[in-house]
Amino acid sequence: MTAALLGVDEPLVRWDWVNDHTDEIVHALWQHVQLTVIAVAIGFVLALIMALISVAWRWAFGPLAGFAAVVYAIPSVALFGVLVAMPAFGLGFRTAEVALVGYTLLILLRNIVAGLDGVPPATREAADGMGFERWRRLVRVDLPLAAPVIIAGLRIATVTTVGLVTVAGLVSAGGFGELITEGLSRNFSTPIVIGAVGSVLLAVAFDLAFVTFERVVTPWTRVKVRRS
Amino acid sequence: MNESLQQMWDYLGRETTWSGRNGLPALTWAHIQISVVSVLIAAVLAIPPAVVFGHVRRGALLAVSVVNIGRAIPSYALMALLLPFALRYGFGLGFWPTVAALVLLAIPPIFTNTYTGVRDVPDEAVEAAQGMGMRPGQLIRRVEVPVAMPLIITGMRISAVQVVATATLGALVGYRDLGTPIVTGFTSRDKGGLLAGSIVVALLALLTDGAFALAERRLVPWRKPVGRAEDVMVVPEEVPFAGSTTAIPTGKGQTR
Amino acid sequence: MRRHMKVLAVLAAFAVLGAACGDDDDGDESGSAGDSGSASAPGEEAPDGEPVVIGAQDFGESLILAEIFEGALDNAGYEADVQEVGGFRDLLFAAFESDEINLAPDYVASNLEYLNEGAGQATSDVDETLGILQPLLEAEGLTALMPSDAVDTNAFVVTETTSDELGITTLSDLASKGADLTLGAPPDCETNGFCIPGLQRVYGVDFTASFTPLEFGVIPDALNADEIDVGVVGSTDGRLADPETGWVLLEDDKSMFAADNVFPLASAELVDSYDPEFTALLGDVMAELTSTDLVEMNKRYDVDRDDAEDIAQDWLNDHGFGADE
Repeated sequence: MTAALLGVDEPLVRWDWVNDHTDEIVHALWQHVQLTVIAVAIGFVLALIMALISVAWRWAFGPLAGFAAVVYAIPSVALFGVLVAMPAFGLGFRTAEVALVGYTLLILLRNIVAGLDGVPPATREAADGMGFERWRRLVRVDLPLAAPVIIAGLRIATVTTVGLVTVAGLVSAGGFGELITEGLSRNFSTPIVIGAVGSVLLAVAFDLAFVTFERVVTPWTRVKVRRS
Repeated sequence: MNESLQQMWDYLGRETTWSGRNGLPALTWAHIQISVVSVLIAAVLAIPPAVVFGHVRRGALLAVSVVNIGRAIPSYALMALLLPFALRYGFGLGFWPTVAALVLLAIPPIFTNTYTGVRDVPDEAVEAAQGMGMRPGQLIRRVEVPVAMPLIITGMRISAVQVVATATLGALVGYRDLGTPIVTGFTSRDKGGLLAGSIVVALLALLTDGAFALAERRLVPWRKPVGRAEDVMVVPEEVPFAGSTTAIPTGKGQTR
Repeated sequence: MRRHMKVLAVLAAFAVLGAACGDDDDGDESGSAGDSGSASAPGEEAPDGEPVVIGAQDFGESLILAEIFEGALDNAGYEADVQEVGGFRDLLFAAFESDEINLAPDYVASNLEYLNEGAGQATSDVDETLGILQPLLEAEGLTALMPSDAVDTNAFVVTETTSDELGITTLSDLASKGADLTLGAPPDCETNGFCIPGLQRVYGVDFTASFTPLEFGVIPDALNADEIDVGVVGSTDGRLADPETGWVLLEDDKSMFAADNVFPLASAELVDSYDPEFTALLGDVMAELTSTDLVEMNKRYDVDRDDAEDIAQDWLNDHGFGADE
């Protein structure tokens, strides 16, 4: 009886609670997706700009990559912490997004640059020979050829971001993390489990989506890749 | 921001911040302790099997899946899940549940990088050693592991930084470390501890990264360091949710 | 080679879509006092005045009380919404200051001790305490409306085992025999006048060094798992009165606790913007509320895992504040 009062006998997942709260759960899913997609999209745009700058001015890559690496090394909770302490940010969506975008930069920047570097010199010369100017060649030849590696980077960045978005629950940004936070503060395992399982499933879904996407967009790479 | 900085200054000026169980030094030490323990346990659990798999050149799918699944698991959720379990089954708050979660998070990078490192030892080197009459045990110890060392250290580096970062979440399940002032600060007006804790943790993470970079340089003098820990790109393969993770150094003049 | 254009277009579309929807959420997350959207009850004109945004602190009872305010006001035709402030009293006051909320349930004595920085002025007489509190509130642009007889103070509990082993049944015992025990309480305990500073002031014992901040919901389990020796719960905790819980409530023999009656804390602006019917309604709600009600509602929240909104609705219906009244 005591155990029941204290919830120790509470099953890991109370399905009746899940049934009663499906709209809350779906809302969390939607917020989670939004947070992830926006972060990766903005991160991609920024990383692309950084990559193009690095192409134009080779020496810029070091500092840019270094900056992204430092941001990446900062623990997410710490970065959230500093942002929350700033009145311009505080808790909420915007704070979460700033941090999340920061964390995608390193992966995306490295992969875009590595992809561009990986374009065979012969192909580049052929394109130049055909009369492509530098930027046109970049857009029409280099980037498409770099696409597999770039998409691979997007894939890692997205899956990583899904995981980080759960931590954003700490700054009240919504998503599955808030379900987890609710469960933690009430010592109620059901929302914690739902939140955890939800974010893992979402990560898997994104991963599968990327695999499919990549196949559709770059069919010429459907060759088993060489072991370096 | 001024108010927060002032609060941090006040926080640092208080005597209670520097003494006792909830003082910064104690919290920092607790943080370091749990990180070191977790990474060591993860290394002990992950390296031997990874070496074996790499040696027999099998288990690529496993290695790749491990890292992808590891990446997908949200550390916050893992930590939070452990709390009801821990209390229910008597593991208590604090140390052991946090270690369990951190070890789980630390294993994938160590496992996959070790596996890849051992597997990718050039065939010529292996054949030459076998030609010299080395038995498998010797081969592993004297050739494969040393050659794979850069990647093994890279794996440990990735894990260590991730563990230091995630150990902050231990505060949510009752382990008192640098996460405690941070998490408390989220729900309070006084952001002094929050800022101080965040800065210390960030420094700790950067130091850890730097320390491993140094270790790479020292322990593997015959090769330039592989580069930063994040030199792990996915080169896509056919299998869904299992891109291969081949470490490709981005320094110049490196060959693999 | 136009595929990459498609790719970029798709990504851009996502970003725009996400940003557009993101802004909506932003509005939900940090609604200001001008931002609520409850419909008026059918057949009633919404009284002229500011929309009400009710702040709820980070524990069940506060949320339930906030929902009770919201339900009562909503059913009477006012525009009212609940806004969780995500922390405790300091964030509550910050939210009042930044106009994010203009009404909140709080407790008289604790509120006073927060504003006077733990000076120990609160007494066990609610009117007296209120008299000291009002001027301090007015200085902040706030006001206290009529309090309830329902009271919720902090409660220090230990397990029966601890109590027997160490011979501790009162807070004085705790001070003399248990100074090195671990205390588990919500994070605001370090600054709450009826927690660590209170114990220091009245009983002369300082628990700062052995204090473990824990979420409210975790404390009972932690106490029973012997992870902490002393736990802080609310005196209206649903499990406290049950002998089978196995807890011993440490007696406040030196009367540290004071009149922690529930009361509506409101911004002066809000009260001024409405007719006296507004404050009268809240006064009626407070008059109907009892400590026993609180215990029952907490039990439903902590043990049965009911939603605060449902618990509040049921109470409102049972006490004549329902939608059809």
